[in-house]
Amino acid sequence: MLSRVADSVFWMARYLERTDNLLRLLRTDYIAAQDELLDYDWQLLIDTFGDDTPEKKVMVSSYREALNHLVLHRQHEYSIFTNIVRVRENARSVQDYITKELWQSLNDFFHTIRNPETKNLILHNDPVTALDILLRESIIFYGTVDTTMSRGEGYTFLNLGKYIERCLQTLDILEFKRKQMANAETEAVHWKYLLYALSGYEFHTKAYKNSLQDKEVIHQVLYNKQFPHSVIYSLGQMDRYFQRLVDVSQPEHFAEIERIIREMIESINTYQKKESVAAIDQLIPDLRLQFANLNQRLSTLYFGNS
Amino acid sequence: MPFSKFLANYHESPNTWDEMCANREIRAHYKLFLESLAKASMVDLAQKDDLAKKLFMSQGITFTVYSDGEGIEKIFPFDIIPRIITGAEWTHIEAGIKQRLRALNLFLKDIYHEQAIVKDKVIPATMIHSCPYFLKEMVGVDVPFDIYTHISGIDLIRDSDGSFYALEDNLRTPSGVSYMLENRNMTYRIFPGLLPKNNVRSVKDYPDLLLKNLLALSSRQVSNPTVVLLTPGIFNSAYFEHTTLARLMGVELVEGRDLVVHDFKVYMKTTAGLKQVDVIYRRVDDEFLDPLVFNPSSMLGVSGLYYAYRKGNVAIINAPGNGVADDKAVYTFVPAMIKYYLNEEPILKTVPTYYMDNTDHFDHVFSQIRKMVIKKTNGSGGYGMLMGHASTDQEIADYKLEVQKDPRQFIAQPMIQLSSVPCFIDGKIQPRHVDLRPFALYGPSGIEIVPGGLTRVALKEGSLVVNSSQGGGSKDTWVLS
Repeated sequence: MLSRVADSVFWMARYLERTDNLLRLLRTDYIAAQDELLDYDWQLLIDTFGDDTPEKKVMVSSYREALNHLVLHRQHEYSIFTNIVRVRENARSVQDYITKELWQSLNDFFHTIRNPETKNLILHNDPVTALDILLRESIIFYGTVDTTMSRGEGYTFLNLGKYIERCLQTLDILEFKRKQMANAETEAVHWKYLLYALSGYEFHTKAYKNSLQDKEVIHQVLYNKQFPHSVIYSLGQMDRYFQRLVDVSQPEHFAEIERIIREMIESINTYQKKESVAAIDQLIPDLRLQFANLNQRLSTLYFGNS
Repeated sequence: MPFSKFLANYHESPNTWDEMCANREIRAHYKLFLESLAKASMVDLAQKDDLAKKLFMSQGITFTVYSDGEGIEKIFPFDIIPRIITGAEWTHIEAGIKQRLRALNLFLKDIYHEQAIVKDKVIPATMIHSCPYFLKEMVGVDVPFDIYTHISGIDLIRDSDGSFYALEDNLRTPSGVSYMLENRNMTYRIFPGLLPKNNVRSVKDYPDLLLKNLLALSSRQVSNPTVVLLTPGIFNSAYFEHTTLARLMGVELVEGRDLVVHDFKVYMKTTAGLKQVDVIYRRVDDEFLDPLVFNPSSMLGVSGLYYAYRKGNVAIINAPGNGVADDKAVYTFVPAMIKYYLNEEPILKTVPTYYMDNTDHFDHVFSQIRKMVIKKTNGSGGYGMLMGHASTDQEIADYKLEVQKDPRQFIAQPMIQLSSVPCFIDGKIQPRHVDLRPFALYGPSGIEIVPGGLTRVALKEGSLVVNSSQGGGSKDTWVLS
């Protein structure tokens, strides 16, 4: 397939996955702040997931302001709105390649976030309803991919983008929760909301059967191969999808990317053996660096960027 | 009187051919359609109108106007009442367009080779050499199968007596065919069952016919030639059309930056390396095709494309240089071309045209300016026109100065009162003026025209300007079998 098209499909999937993860986090933390974490630090959320360049730093004084900024702000580089515009722009530039159904699902997503009712819910009414409506749009996207897209190269790049982004988001959210813990009296509650944000709380109660323990949460989030938001699961999926390119790639390009992904899997296995909570503070920056390299090499070898 | 409700508020304009009725009588070919609406109220029609708008919006069949980084979505206005053409009218139109295209194609071959038509003084040499779209780079270039005008959209209008005129021959990168297809898709959603009931001929074959022609133009002896559609990109107003056609044909939609020329061959950059391209259906204008030969600042084209084309390693559709044949000043010579090359009488009429660089014509036009329309010879989109009947004295005086600066760039034509058709506007059925752009495909096996086309509507009451950039819309076009 065209390198430019592969690039756009890849980024379309990344922005969509980023949107989905951020929506889940916002939904979880908003509910937490209503009921349990009454002194929730909205500024920390903005500082972590918003624009951190000093001149663009935004101060918020209420949860509605924070939600408005992260969800609806049109000039904010990292808002859900901007993400969806990017998803749609990428989709637009490959409109002939993706299915008509997929294009329409993204187009509907775009019209949903622009709907004044969405803004009204977030600013004056029940924000959870708005977040649920938006989350449903992202689920429709994944369902449409699954039922309509051919299992060709495009599908592979789409999934590669999706799992790279999911893994990075899991690391970001984990790091954010560690920051919240650092400022809190008790850690336990934040481990719980970490699981909620990754849609993994029910899984945890079923799979681990103990009352919540930090080591087990970390095991689930990083090393559990059955948990679809874990780091090891995402890396495994990246490897699995990438293998499908073996026959359509230039052999030396394929070998290089394959090696990078395999090294990432090896390094996460090494971390697992260390079995310490503190190790995650090294693992996060370490993996991010490897991702940066992977992205850069993919961009050069497969997307034709120099 | 079942039709009384449609006619009660329907006031035909004077001196206009109305396609639905004549002297307060419904024409036969509109009766079946109107009968099926007999039970529908204006509220029902308003709901259908609403449904059509929603469908266009959710399908993203929109123009995007960019401001502040966020696109503003606009739909191309669509009128729900189809325009109906009889089988006999279509036969006439089809024959007329085919004849015109054969002549125009022969003219292009001639003008870029022997120029016999100039030597025989049928067309003055100055007419050709003063045309900005005459490409000297195409002189002596042999094109595959001697076909230049692969894809064309000939604009037709009907005068007050109902006769068809060819108004413009769009032979470069005519657009609108995706709206022909989408408008039809809209009709079966808003008027279920009516297409089969009325025996409306299908337009669905267009993408297949186009692909068949494109594949046939490959010069490489391979079983599966690579065809691409070259678009200027997502900011182009016809981008929706480019994606639609690429999708329907299953070909790659490429931008200039996706292509590269090595050793006089064109390749596209893929994830698996370079892949040779055999046929390019380009929707990029001539001047931007190759920065090494044409406009050096072009970012939309491909360096070296022209020489790959000259070597015969890639086919470009439509051929570069076609603009010399659809120039508005050359237009008036088409009947002469038909006689010269085909020895036939023209089937479609041609609007009389006056040259502003001819002083007699100039004086004649400005003495009757209220009945005239003045256009730029290379203009399009309805921009830069002067409609005499609708202009102030000051506007006319200003325009006259403009014309005097470079008279070759202007022509004038008597105002033709376009035919009118029923439209659903502001909750009422009202007449509006229309033109018709059928799309013709000229391939190695001949000329084919899908039975239909794009009917453009001047939505403003009394207006004769149908261009989408000037308040025009479109409607589905039914050709009955």
